[in-house]
Order: sequence, then structure tokens, then C-alpha cells
Amino acid sequence: MATLQSTAPPDADRSPARPVVRRKRTVLQRLRHDWPLLLLALPVVAHLSVFHYWPTAWNIIAFLDYSPYRPFWENPFVGFAWFERLFNDPYFTPALLNTLKFAALNLLCMFPLSIALALAMNSIISVRVRSAFQSIVYLPHFFSWVLVVTVFVQVLGADGLVSNWIMDGGGERLDITSNPETFTFLVWMQWAWKDAGWGMIIFLAALSSINPSLYEAAASDGANRWRRMWHITLPGIRPVIILLLILQIGGILSVGFEQYQLQRQAVGYQATEVLDTYVYYQSIVGSQGESFGTAAGLFKGVIGLILILIANNIAHRLGEQGIYQKS
Amino acid sequence: MTATEITPRSGSAFRKSARPMWDEEPSLAGKLFKALFLVCYGAAIVLPLWAVLATSLASEEALTRAGGNLLLVPTEVSLQAYREIFSGGALTDSLLLTTALTLGGTAISMAFTICGAYALSRTGSLLHRPILWFILLTFLFGPGMYPSFLVVQQLGLFNSYWSLILPGAVGTFNIIILRAFFMNSIPGELIDAAKMDGAGEFRTLFRIVLPMSKAILAVIALFYAVGYWNMYFGAVLYTPGLETQPIQVVLQRMLMSTQGLPEGAQAAAQYQAQGEAAPTAALKMAVVVCTIIPIVIMYPFIQKHFTKAVITGAVKG
Repeated sequence: MATLQSTAPPDADRSPARPVVRRKRTVLQRLRHDWPLLLLALPVVAHLSVFHYWPTAWNIIAFLDYSPYRPFWENPFVGFAWFERLFNDPYFTPALLNTLKFAALNLLCMFPLSIALALAMNSIISVRVRSAFQSIVYLPHFFSWVLVVTVFVQVLGADGLVSNWIMDGGGERLDITSNPETFTFLVWMQWAWKDAGWGMIIFLAALSSINPSLYEAAASDGANRWRRMWHITLPGIRPVIILLLILQIGGILSVGFEQYQLQRQAVGYQATEVLDTYVYYQSIVGSQGESFGTAAGLFKGVIGLILILIANNIAHRLGEQGIYQKS
Repeated sequence: MTATEITPRSGSAFRKSARPMWDEEPSLAGKLFKALFLVCYGAAIVLPLWAVLATSLASEEALTRAGGNLLLVPTEVSLQAYREIFSGGALTDSLLLTTALTLGGTAISMAFTICGAYALSRTGSLLHRPILWFILLTFLFGPGMYPSFLVVQQLGLFNSYWSLILPGAVGTFNIIILRAFFMNSIPGELIDAAKMDGAGEFRTLFRIVLPMSKAILAVIALFYAVGYWNMYFGAVLYTPGLETQPIQVVLQRMLMSTQGLPEGAQAAAQYQAQGEAAPTAALKMAVVVCTIIPIVIMYPFIQKHFTKAVITGAVKG
């Protein structure tokens, strides 16, 4: 879901939605008129101040030699020393590369799967079959990662269902869930199981918004099934595909946390370490210290911010709207 | 919104049931391939879940005969595992705690979200734009794990159940979805009429706007509830020292103890110290079933509104 935060352009405010009647009034008059709205907005503003902006400000300790045991102003300023140490850390680069690997996997293997599912689904004629199928494939999206990993271990693990079948048939023990070499494949299977169905929701909606008379016209002009798909269906869902791709690029360094942390012990840290688990194990579990962990997190946040801005810029150049409008 | 406009035709997100005249019958091979693809995908989801359910209902002996793992057919049905879960031990406590967290957390989150979304849907009011930007900017930059952890510690919430609810109580994305719904799907004339009749903002919100938004409110509440119910990392991070842990943490420990991992050995030792047997496959799978059931119960009522919520969020923003 969070990948779809999309448009929300402040400019949408100019839409004819429901303007509060606006005359020239002093701030005091407006305050008297609008105070209930300010009161309603207050809890959210207060919450974000405390739990988003206040911790954001604490990122300052990435530039200090911070210790919680002395007054804040006595922490010496060290510039980019922690970042230097971060980039020289032998565990950091593998974590970054793993993150990029999983992000690329998500981009290259999950999108086509969701689109293929949506196309296949959309061509089922019977409404009843279609909605039954939808009920099934959306469901795993709401399962926790703990549950998904548990089910995978039980089914595909060394003592799992499939492994037992194979051994009953005289084959070798299957080892997928604790094998670093197959971990990438395992991650992909877990994604496909949990979220490929959910991912097709937006494509289905886009498909249903294509005007059927386009298909009819194309068919009467002699375009066959494949040509109709190529010239009508795919262009019809192109904007949605681009929008989602852009959002994915913005979140490229956030490939999730729980999935890797949960399988870390079974598979080993080399294969499972991504940036988020790196930060967790270095700063909160490990002994690299507060400032180091904050520096690693800040690195991720800044790169994420840059990627979002770049992706959005590309979107505008392609004539799409992107996450926010150019104003 | 020009290019990404999505408007489901004729109210339904799907086309009508019969094959249109111009559409030729697909080839048999094509049909078979498509059917195979969809059936395999569906089966890959349903079969493991069925095996989990079957195993949770199996008796100890049937499981031992099967090699201690999943079964596809429970030969001797036994409710032993479920009796153990609800017998008042640590598992019962954990389920009660998780239920309380889910209900309380969802209520708090919905209160925040409704108030914020309504305030932001009234464009042109005092400070409207700065507040909107204040919320939208949170999408661009995350504060990072350690600073968030630090603030939770500073507030004295570390190892308190409040730390499982408060830090994540506001889903800004949900606020934006709900705001878009308020702005696009509730006629402005209705609000103006209420204002004419002397209704204040609060009365308008509770008497006019909320009753018209039941479907989308249900979807957002489901998103929040699922988040709280599935809470795992929050508990690992913020409440590692508490005796009773959310059910996902308990399930994770059970999983580790049967995978024979170091952390699991610890958990197994803990079970022994408490005079309990290490969890059997049936017990583990029964816990899995217990974590799925609330989701499966809520799901059919809300599923039909998913598409609407997703599209509102993705397109109309």
C-alpha cells in the first residue's frame, strides 16, 4: 500500500472540491471561524512532530561523538568521521549490494508477474470464478512475515512437506529455507506468494477503465488477440505501470526488514543482510554505537530522498504526473 | 490527473459476464495455459494453508507417524492443540494482549486519521496549506531506526506497551486516502447545506461525513488492525523485556525452537525451565491458525471495497 502514496498534489486544492467561502478577512476572524478545523488537525500535527520530526532532528548525532551518558552539548562534533567509518566497514558494502539486488529482483520479477496475473484474471469470463480467485490471492497480503516464513519452513524446509515427499520418492533432502545460495530465490517465492496477488489490484482497475469500444473497433479492423493486447491493453495501463515503477525506485533502499531478520539465523547474515537489518544489528543489538547506527540510517534516508526526487523528475519528463506536481 | 485517470465503468470494476460478440474464442492451448497458470498460483496459496489447518487438528500419534511435520489429511482429529492454547497459559495471555493492542491501537489510529483527514479536506481554511505540507513531507524522508528508538527511550516508553501503539499510530498515507475520499466523494453542497442549517464542523463530521464514508473507513480500519495484529518488529525493538509478548513474537520463538537454531535452543531451554514441553507441530500450526482466523473473518466484509480504497489512494490523492 505504502507504495501508492502517489499523487497527493497540494495543487489538488484548487479543484472545485469544496472551498470554504473566502472573503478578505483578518487572521483573527479566520481563526474564529476555523478553530474547530485547527483543533481537529492538532493531534496529527502533534504526533508527527513527536514521532517523525523530533527523531529526524536527532539525526544530528550522526555528526557527533554521541554518548547518552553526558549532556547533549558536551558531545564533540566529528564531522563526517562516522560516514568514513561506515564506508570502510567490511559489512556495509555487502549489505548495500544485497539491498540493491533484492530491489532489482522486485522490480524485474514482481511487476511482470502481477501484470500477467491481472491479464489472465481479466480474461476470465465468469464473474463468480473471478471473485473467488480474487478472494484467495489477496488474502496472503494480510499475513505477517512471521507467518509467511513459518509456512515456508513447514512446506519447503529441510523437514518440510515437499522435502518429505521427495525423500519418500527416494530423492535427496530439499534445502531451500536455510541455504544462502537459494535465498534470493526464496525471497522471490515469498514475495510472489504474499504480494503478487495484491499487486494486481491496481492493474485490474486500470484494465477495467479501458474503453471496451476500442477493442471492438480494433477487432472489426481485423486486429487479433495479441495485437489488441499490444496496441490497446498495454498502452492503457502504461501510466499506472510508470507511476508504480517510479514509486518503486524511490523506495529502492527499503526492501523490508522482517523478512530478512526472521531468516537471518537459518540462512546466515551474509545472504540476508540488507541496509535496515545492518542498522539494527550495528546500532541497537551491536556495539558500534549510537552515532554509527544513526549515520547508516541517515545515509539510507538521504539516498532515498534523492532517488524520489530523481524518479519524480523522470516522471515529469515522461509527461506523467509522478508523486507531486511541478508547481 | 490526465494520464493516470482510472474510472471503473458502470460501477463495477469488471466487465460484464458474457463474451462480447467481436471477441473470438481463444485457442484451446491458450485457454489451457491460462487456466494452468491461475490454478497453480491459487493452489500454491490454498494448499499450504490447508496443510496448516489439517496439521493443527492432527493428534500427536498421527503426526509422529507422518514424520512430525505437515499433514494433508488429519486422520485422527484432535483439538488438543487448541485446548492448550486457550488453557490460560502464556499463549492465552499473548493472544489477549495482541487482541487488546489491536482494538486499542485501531481505535486510536482511526481517531487521529479521521480528525486529520477531515481538517485537511476543508481547503482554504487557516493554515491549511502548511499543515498539508507538514504531512506530505513525511513521505520524503524517514527519520531512521536509531533516532526513533532514541526518542521512544527519551519518552519513557521503552518496554511499555504504549510503545507498540503510539510511534506508528498515524499512517499518513491513510490520512491522504481518506482526505481524497472526503473531497471527491462527498458532495460539497451537502456540507454547505449543513453549514446553512447551523451545524458546526464537529456536527458536520459526525452526522454527515462519517455516515457516508462507512466503506472506506472499514478498509482503513482493516489496514490498521492488520498492522497491529501482525506487529513483530515493533515488539522486538521497543518491548524486548516484557513478560507477555505479542503473538507474532511468540510464534517466531516457536519456529526457531523447531529449526534447531541457537536462538531456538534458548527458547527450548526456556520451555524446559517452565516445565513445558517444546511445542509440537500441531501446537505451532494451531497458533498459525489462530493468527489467521481474525483476518479471514474480517476479510469478506471488507474485500469488496479494496479496489476503491487503493484507487482513491493511488490516483485521486
